[in-house]
Amino acid sequence: MAVAREAEPVGSLHEVREAGLDREDLLGVYRTMLVTRGVEERGHILYRQGKIPGSFYTGRGNEAASIGVATAMGPDDVGTPLHRDMGVHITRGVEPWRIFAQYMGRADGPTKGRDGNVHMADAQLGLIAMVSHLPAMLPVATGCALAFRIREERRVAVGWFGEGASARGDTHEAMTLAGTRKLPIVYVCDNNQWAYSTPTHLEYATEHVADRAEAYGFEGVVVDGTDVLAVYREAKRAIEKARAGGGPTLVECLTLRMEGHAVHDDAFYVPKLMFEQWAESDPLERFRTWLRGHAEMSDEEEDEIAGGVKKLLNDALRRADESPQPDPSELTHGVYASLEDLDTPHHK
Amino acid sequence: MATETAIDVVMPQMGVSVSEGTITRWLKSEGEHVESDEPLLEISTDKVDTEVPSPASGTVTRILVQEGETVDVGTKLAQIGGAAAEPAPETATQDAAQAADAPSSAETPQPTRPQAPTAEERVAVQQPTGNGKFVSPVVARIASEHGVDPGQVEGTGRGGRVTKKDILSFIEHGAGAAAPPQPAAPEGPTEAPPQAPPAQAPAAPKAAPPLAPAEVLPGEQLEPASAMRRGIAEHMRRSLDTSAHVTSAIEVDMSKVVAARERLKKEYQAAYGVNPTYLAFVAQAAVQTLRDYPYVNGELRGDSIVTRNFVNLGIAVELAEGKGLIVPVIRSAETMNLLGLAKGIAEIAAKARNKQLLPDDVQGGTFTITNPGGYGTFHGTPVISQPQSAILGTYALVKRPWVIEDESGNDSIAIKPIMNVTLTYDHRLVDGAYAGRFLRDLRERLEAWEGDGG
Amino acid sequence: MAELTYLQAISDGLRTEMRRDKRVFLIGEDVGVYGGAFKVSLGFQEEFGPWRVLDAPLAETAIIGACTGASIVGMRPVAEMQFADFISCGWDQLVTVAAKQRWRAGTPVPIVVRLPSGGGFSGGPFHSQNPESSFAHIPGLKCVCPATPEDAKGLLIAAIEDPNPVLYFEHKHLYRRIKGEVPEERYTVPIGKARTHRDGDDVSVITWGAMVYTAEEAARQLEGDGVSVEIVDLRTVMPWDKGAVLASARKTSKVLVLHEDTRTGGFGAEIAATVAEEAFEDLDAPVKRIAAPDTPVPFSPPLEKAFIPQVDDVVKGLRELAEY
Repeated sequence: MAVAREAEPVGSLHEVREAGLDREDLLGVYRTMLVTRGVEERGHILYRQGKIPGSFYTGRGNEAASIGVATAMGPDDVGTPLHRDMGVHITRGVEPWRIFAQYMGRADGPTKGRDGNVHMADAQLGLIAMVSHLPAMLPVATGCALAFRIREERRVAVGWFGEGASARGDTHEAMTLAGTRKLPIVYVCDNNQWAYSTPTHLEYATEHVADRAEAYGFEGVVVDGTDVLAVYREAKRAIEKARAGGGPTLVECLTLRMEGHAVHDDAFYVPKLMFEQWAESDPLERFRTWLRGHAEMSDEEEDEIAGGVKKLLNDALRRADESPQPDPSELTHGVYASLEDLDTPHHK
Repeated sequence: MATETAIDVVMPQMGVSVSEGTITRWLKSEGEHVESDEPLLEISTDKVDTEVPSPASGTVTRILVQEGETVDVGTKLAQIGGAAAEPAPETATQDAAQAADAPSSAETPQPTRPQAPTAEERVAVQQPTGNGKFVSPVVARIASEHGVDPGQVEGTGRGGRVTKKDILSFIEHGAGAAAPPQPAAPEGPTEAPPQAPPAQAPAAPKAAPPLAPAEVLPGEQLEPASAMRRGIAEHMRRSLDTSAHVTSAIEVDMSKVVAARERLKKEYQAAYGVNPTYLAFVAQAAVQTLRDYPYVNGELRGDSIVTRNFVNLGIAVELAEGKGLIVPVIRSAETMNLLGLAKGIAEIAAKARNKQLLPDDVQGGTFTITNPGGYGTFHGTPVISQPQSAILGTYALVKRPWVIEDESGNDSIAIKPIMNVTLTYDHRLVDGAYAGRFLRDLRERLEAWEGDGG
Repeated sequence: MAELTYLQAISDGLRTEMRRDKRVFLIGEDVGVYGGAFKVSLGFQEEFGPWRVLDAPLAETAIIGACTGASIVGMRPVAEMQFADFISCGWDQLVTVAAKQRWRAGTPVPIVVRLPSGGGFSGGPFHSQNPESSFAHIPGLKCVCPATPEDAKGLLIAAIEDPNPVLYFEHKHLYRRIKGEVPEERYTVPIGKARTHRDGDDVSVITWGAMVYTAEEAARQLEGDGVSVEIVDLRTVMPWDKGAVLASARKTSKVLVLHEDTRTGGFGAEIAATVAEEAFEDLDAPVKRIAAPDTPVPFSPPLEKAFIPQVDDVVKGLRELAEY
């Protein structure tokens, strides 16, 4: 029996205005979605050209979920996005050329070639770089919320995880701590239904991941992760509730991972029919249709946005390609922080 | 204390062709305890220097052969456990035949044997030099800094070892007598030559037994021949006494090899860290050519001729600064491509120079390549490594004016990289025409080189 | 100056920093109302309130992870593991997240994890371990192991001030047994600097934590034999004071490395290897190690006595080196 609330889809422009987005914002969200998908598509091409070492992951199908949540965050809020959440980085303002540089292991990537793919974050933008041990970021996000609570700041932390990561103890420990202390945090579960090749019924036995929230003493809500506006509205509610001292919320965004775990994986284990059904609710196409129907997005506006994104990505690729390789002589630098390193936006 | 039964330590057989070995250093003295498999002594044979691990745990009751002495394989060197006062053993200088001829009473004391020292005598010999005592790194350094022979210092450490304190106090209390020796002018024929100061390990053997009584004339310097030098001397002489050496030479246009090497160099360096040397190319071509000339890869063994379906390729490697020559072997070279041979050559050369060769690494060669061309020589007549029947020499690659003929038969002169290659063969087994055809085919292979030749 | 126990010195250091710096908070199991399993934070909650002295759920991953997150947004968290042994439950947070964050993402993680460690009181396999070498092997972590009350206070303050994750190993055996003069004012003991606990000429003992006192007793016994033993208290295991160890090795030419952790892969191996590598020509004897055997820590007193290096073991080792 499901105990989490199931969110309604968003209907009208009026409804969205009430949630805090005007028409300009909506076109901005659409643009961010195009940039997000574009970055990953171009990255995939670079990977096949042999320009990206290691492996390559995308979040195709998760754009609405990640961008919907990130759009609801305030400027001083912090987050720990994972590898399907490129949209969070783009929303918070990471420049695409730096992402390409990161992909290619160049000196101008946020990790300067020391780590790869989406293992990055710009601290200036309130993000903390993920590790591969995905649920390990939830206690970290919880700690940010704890700091905000100790200092009585009106800031919120957002911690992302997948339905696979929900199985590990970190998730339980983080939610236990946040629940007992009513910390200002929103847990976002990107439930894309496949943890590598493992289906949901082998990861959790409840109907929804969000059903667990009640056991930790806070609210759980399931939202259609392909509906950017519905995600935005639920995330906004949860974030503002946390900001007001109402404690954590678990927002579960239901999507389908539209590609393999990484590009080497053809996802043969996912039923074809499943892909076909979910392809009909592609987040970008769905929002584009909504904008044309409810916000009168014109052909000109659409072309202008698409053209701008194309140019942005072309320029970004060029700039990233000019970024130098990291200097091996600096490999051993910065294993330990110096006191000057503490002079970051987080450490005021 | 000593184990119940006495265990003998004997000179090991370090490879089938090795018949004797020299003791370079005892790592334990009499009365000291040694663990099974713990290094007990160091020996030097004509191919390999190595440590000998103790065959048993127990007290070293007797050391029978002193440092610097050379004895036959199988000679008893020491005894672990048992009683120290056992009968005097067979000695280093006694040869195996004599031992075999000895009557069954050989186990009883043979006081008439002049070279069998008593335990007391051995101790007496050992004491004054302090040899056989371990010299710690710090003592070795201080000794070398002050030009002191630690053997002159009375040791108070375990087993009489010279400790840091001992040597420091020795220096402090007037070791002036042991000042670093000056290169003195020779004073006369009867004067002993100035003994070079022990450079670092003063406990190293002073000298191997001389080959012949050497009288030193004014201006001459005497240095003992190392085990390796004596081995080389014996082998070279024996080879010339055994095989009928004949050398044939051929000139090879290496243009294609040069081009191939240029192409492969970067790739091999980057991907494998290996330099495809000209030697590797020649080795590859030679190994392929040997398939068609089994006698060149063969051996005359008694009244029989041995041929093989494999090539164990010896590569002559010069050790640092005239220390000698060693011929490590690349096994089953016929199964290797150019990369494999290039790697194999680099590996054995490094092992040889770092003294890491094992007995097996230098045995079982069927054909050898020597490469003195590095110094610019263009011809030579190397000595065959016994019991093989041929050795290939490769010489300097030089640009030379070369007459070439185009398709219509017109001659012109071009600049070509030319290498002389010699085959020195045992004419008892290999005929001149046969050797000539081998060299011709080898040249054709090299001149028509394509790709990585595999 | 006041005479404090080792445990009081730790409390004093923590209290000093919490009074001085509002960013410092303590989180751990039973650290609040109860004052900590060993009473290091007794009375702290009354003074600093429930949001700076936090009783955490029984969740080491959450404790260390939360410290990491809080430090990234500007706090100076101090976590208490109830026993050092329980840090295994927080391994991932320390090793995967905290240790690597500065190097790969440029984000410093200034946290302190306090680790009541060591045996000698029948704590058994899960309340007695000395896991410092496991963490010394992780680039990005620092490990300090004070032996005296003065160092306990000074190193704790230095650890809190340090911009990196610092594991602070406080030896339970010393808590109430060791007393010493401790300055009342705030001071730091530099991380990465060893201390000569005792001057000597003939043999050096390199050690840390409770073993400093075992070495001291052994050295006293050897005095009668005319053997002069130098004791170097490393104080910090990572980054360790190589210079001080090499200087002592060069002085005496004989080195004994002593630790309570098990032998194979223990931090003593790193020290012995470095001495052999960098002071080879100064050695007059092989570098010797005395450490616990490669077993879990036993419970029963005779077994535990056989496990933890005893004064007699050290005396024997020192004699062997002296006579070498």
